[in-house]
Amino acid sequence: MALVAMGAPLAGCGGVNVNSPSVRGLAYVKLDDVVKHDPLYAQLSNIDDAIAMVQLQGAGPRVPRSARSIAREDARLRSQIAAAKARTQAIVASKQREYRARAQTAIAAALRSAGVRSGANVGAALGSATSQQAAAAQAQAGRDMRQYQASVMQQGTVAAHAIVQQLQAEATQKLQAKSLQEQQRETNLSLRLSQQDAAQRLSIQTKLSMLALDPATRQRLQGQLDAMNRRDNAQIAALRVSDQREFTAYRAQVMAQTNAAMRAQLGHINDETRTKLVSHESALGAQLRSSLGPQQPLMHVTPATQAQIRAIEARIEQQYQADVQNVLAEYATTSDALEVQYAELHGADAAAASATQQEIEILQVRRQQLYARIVAHVQHEAQRLAQRKGFHVVFSGVTAAAGGYDMTNDLIHDIESEHE
Amino acid sequence: MKKRSLPILLATAALMTAIAPAATARDLSDIGFVDQSAIAALPALVSVSQQLAAYKAQLNGQYTAAMRGARTPAARAQVTQDFNTRMNNEQRQLAGPEFMRVQLAIASVASTHGLSVVVDKRIIIYGGQDITQDVVRLLQGSQQILPLGTAPPPSEIGYVDQTALESSPQVRSASAQLQAYAEKERRLYGAQFAQAGGNTQKQQQIAAAYNQAMNAEQQQVLKPVIDHTQQVTAQTAQRKGLLLIIDRADVLYGGTDITTDVQNALSK
Repeated sequence: MALVAMGAPLAGCGGVNVNSPSVRGLAYVKLDDVVKHDPLYAQLSNIDDAIAMVQLQGAGPRVPRSARSIAREDARLRSQIAAAKARTQAIVASKQREYRARAQTAIAAALRSAGVRSGANVGAALGSATSQQAAAAQAQAGRDMRQYQASVMQQGTVAAHAIVQQLQAEATQKLQAKSLQEQQRETNLSLRLSQQDAAQRLSIQTKLSMLALDPATRQRLQGQLDAMNRRDNAQIAALRVSDQREFTAYRAQVMAQTNAAMRAQLGHINDETRTKLVSHESALGAQLRSSLGPQQPLMHVTPATQAQIRAIEARIEQQYQADVQNVLAEYATTSDALEVQYAELHGADAAAASATQQEIEILQVRRQQLYARIVAHVQHEAQRLAQRKGFHVVFSGVTAAAGGYDMTNDLIHDIESEHE
Repeated sequence: MKKRSLPILLATAALMTAIAPAATARDLSDIGFVDQSAIAALPALVSVSQQLAAYKAQLNGQYTAAMRGARTPAARAQVTQDFNTRMNNEQRQLAGPEFMRVQLAIASVASTHGLSVVVDKRIIIYGGQDITQDVVRLLQGSQQILPLGTAPPPSEIGYVDQTALESSPQVRSASAQLQAYAEKERRLYGAQFAQAGGNTQKQQQIAAAYNQAMNAEQQQVLKPVIDHTQQVTAQTAQRKGLLLIIDRADVLYGGTDITTDVQNALSK
């Protein structure tokens, strides 16, 4: 008796000799098998089905664009943006030439009507720098302006792309957060349902385990259990459908907000570009005028004609500024439209080439979090069981076993009875 | 009777106490584990990891540019291989010395504790000796960690290189078969899914059916191969007097490598 009593702790419980030479206090658990019996496993399957849904959506004929077509479209838009920039620069340069010529013609006409006849006399009449010097300075100013335009427009494009990327990343984060929030809701419901009717389930299960049960009663009890399972599953499925609808609506809302924010930000960048160009143009004009020296009083010309010439210069300068503003505004509109198309193309990455991938990634994050939660629960139960049975070490990632004790079934039993 | 049996009982009890703790102690003290995330959080390793991340980011840009220039699949494969080699070389150069130091630290602590095997914490659910803090302390110290002069003691825990076993012709063929099946089924169910239009319930049913079909095919094609590999691994383990076999990736110190024996047995 005493020997038996002393031997008992060594033998452990539940028919396992924990310290036998083939066990040596070691046990292992096939985690994947146990996970399938956790009350949250149904939810994990739901996520797997949702992943399959997205995969099938991508496999169907509704895939909007291939990666190659996106690359093609991307190249087309980039070249259109570059062409719009080049076109604007060319127009502004031609406007400068046109207004310069217009000013000279108007001044020459005014001088002619005041009695000054030849072109050479016009220069002399103006009495300031020579017309050659003025032309060279104006050409240099034009080149500087074009260079500045190119650099400002390039900065605008870089800023626009950075904003598009940032806004898209923010949208993905929002969607991920929403998805996790919905998962939490589904997990909570699943746990609540499994615990809500635990007592009733246990009672039915106990009755069903009795051998002396007539077939009719067994069928009735089994029917009750099945009905409870169906009711729970239906509730979870209903919540999932409603969550899915909510997610779809939320995604549409986030995408709309993102696109609106993109438009606003791109508009802001283009406004800034325009302001910078106009103010640089004015500064350059002032610089040019000052570099040509203070305006000398016009010789051989009456004060009235002088006033007339100043008025012509001011009017044509004003007309030029207004015209250039229009050109730049036109560029901004074209650029806005192209940048929005570019943004939508890459924003549509989510809805096109990598739409499937993005959604799958969101679902996979949900799956990982839920799986980790299930594993934590399984491990907690395994620790309790190992302690109860007297094992020294329990492994989970075993490739093959020639010894040790397979604790998987005991653990499944513990987990099932905990929720039934 | 009572007088005579008492000394026998006491002697037996003494014997049992002498044997039992020895057996228990062996089971308890033989297996250790390390939380690798705690090691990875050490400043030296964080710095290595940051440097590698920066190098990778830099390489990514070059890789994209090089891929744009590669016109044929062979050229693209060559580009990928070249960049992988560059990344691996950098990794070896930057992380190699630190990884070696970590390995020496684990071996040193394992030896001090009389452990025959040290594994990753992830695969231990219960028990075992947690030597993480001892390893961290040793790594944080400024002293040089010298290699052990002796090999780890023999262990009843064996390991196989799972990656090597998964590259066997049988597993590769089964995986390819499963892949082909998955592509075929995706197209098939994808068409049904598209036909179901906006009917979410119907689409959910189709997705569930697709998953079931995939699981069934996996059971039919891949599971027999995996089961066979496990069986052969278990038989090899038994022949070698080992109790449990784990993946090589989870072993940090000690253990008995039976990969070649399993590969040989599988090829028979």
